[in-house]
Amino acid sequence: MNRAAASPQHDHTLTRARPLLGTLVEISVRGASTHALNTAIEQAFAAVERIQTLMSYHDLTSDVSRLNRSGTTGITVDPHTWFVLDTARTLAAVSNGLFDISIAPELVRAGYLPQHTDFASADAAANWRHIELLPDHRVRLSRPMHIDLGGIAKGYAVDCAILALQDAGMQAGRVNAGGDLRVFGEAAETIHVRHPGAATQLLPLCQLREGAVATSAPYYSQRQVNGCVASPLINAATRQPCTDTRSVSVLADCCMLADALTKVVFAAPTRAIAVLQHFAAHAAVIDADPRLPAQYRVRLSEPTGWRDALQTEPEAVAA
Amino acid sequence: MQHPPVWLIAPAIVAFAAAPAYAVQYLNIEQAQKQFFPQADSFASSPLELTAEQKAFVEKVAGVRMRYAKQPVWKVLDNGKPVGWVVQDEVFGKHEFITYAVALDTAGTVLGVEILDYRETHGREIRNANWRAQFNGKKHGAPLRLDNDIQNISGATLSCKHISEGVRRILALHEAALK
Repeated sequence: MNRAAASPQHDHTLTRARPLLGTLVEISVRGASTHALNTAIEQAFAAVERIQTLMSYHDLTSDVSRLNRSGTTGITVDPHTWFVLDTARTLAAVSNGLFDISIAPELVRAGYLPQHTDFASADAAANWRHIELLPDHRVRLSRPMHIDLGGIAKGYAVDCAILALQDAGMQAGRVNAGGDLRVFGEAAETIHVRHPGAATQLLPLCQLREGAVATSAPYYSQRQVNGCVASPLINAATRQPCTDTRSVSVLADCCMLADALTKVVFAAPTRAIAVLQHFAAHAAVIDADPRLPAQYRVRLSEPTGWRDALQTEPEAVAA
Repeated sequence: MQHPPVWLIAPAIVAFAAAPAYAVQYLNIEQAQKQFFPQADSFASSPLELTAEQKAFVEKVAGVRMRYAKQPVWKVLDNGKPVGWVVQDEVFGKHEFITYAVALDTAGTVLGVEILDYRETHGREIRNANWRAQFNGKKHGAPLRLDNDIQNISGATLSCKHISEGVRRILALHEAALK
């Protein structure tokens, strides 16, 4: 805490966690007075709650549910929702459908999302190309479909919370929504990821000062459904669940992009390279490699070509 | 975005430096009470001990098992008048142990949920003294420290399903015994 000692006016920090977005959302801030920190944290949690209310698939009054119920009628949504839909469309176009928010029926079938009987029945052939974004925050589905923003809205909620902390005049802060994480401030922070083969073990990943990291991995969510592996990570191109046990972390300027790009890398690591480059993002893939002895079973592989940076000799470690 | 190119973690180091557990305390119960009800003048400890019938009612209504018949509860008073309740609860997940508090108004509406403690365990291993002993004597400056240094975990989503179930159980508990 040398930095705190050097600038005593900034040496207050506060960290809180609440269950939101289907996970634990942790918000940490650093600033001048504890009162200001409390206010900033409340505003940041309020921003997260607002995004949850707008974009939850579970909530029947959310923009997402209204859209899924709308058939091909077209509705007006909140500017936040419109912006996320617009980003999702860009991601789908750049990734040629590797990222696609129309995979809700697959997630419902696998038991990760609830069945809503009042939704208009979805056209099985519909995809992201059938979402029309119109002026004045209007959206129309040219074919009835069910969208889910679960692969992108959590990252966007983190971005909104960070903005709330900055608007409240905080010097530094961190928002972590179950692995979708963004930081700002002077000091670089070490980011850890979970070992894909042993989720309670942490591995240092990188130093991050201004930016976001999102990690997707099936270690907490994969399960068996009717004898088949089910995962909330769906390859949008094949509509099949990703059954790999690796973990994918993406670094990007904003958490919304980092969150969404993890799904692209998960679905197709090689094709993802160009997509990552398009968004100036980086990715790290961590495998639990069964060929290695147990203690060494972590293997970093990468779709973005920075393997050369990993050529450090392992330190001798006493067993 | 500024992230120095320090992807210099050799796989072997990574495997050995892995930390066994992560723990953080966000709030103690007194701080949580004040945060939920800043105006209140007292929080009267009124732990609940459910009768067998009440326990059965809660389990039926909430659809989750009650692990203990006893629950820490505080009655919130403002100028001597009851204004709500604070209930403390714990949930155990696959790897994690979470203590949290729920604030209710007198009608049983949730006013807020705050995580008090979050602790990850590795089941069997964490309880095994020999296994823990291998981490003794790790010095400051080790690649990973086992104290509160580890703050930034970009892990995959940890479901808070257990907390949702817990809150549902607390609402049933209010219905059974706090009305």
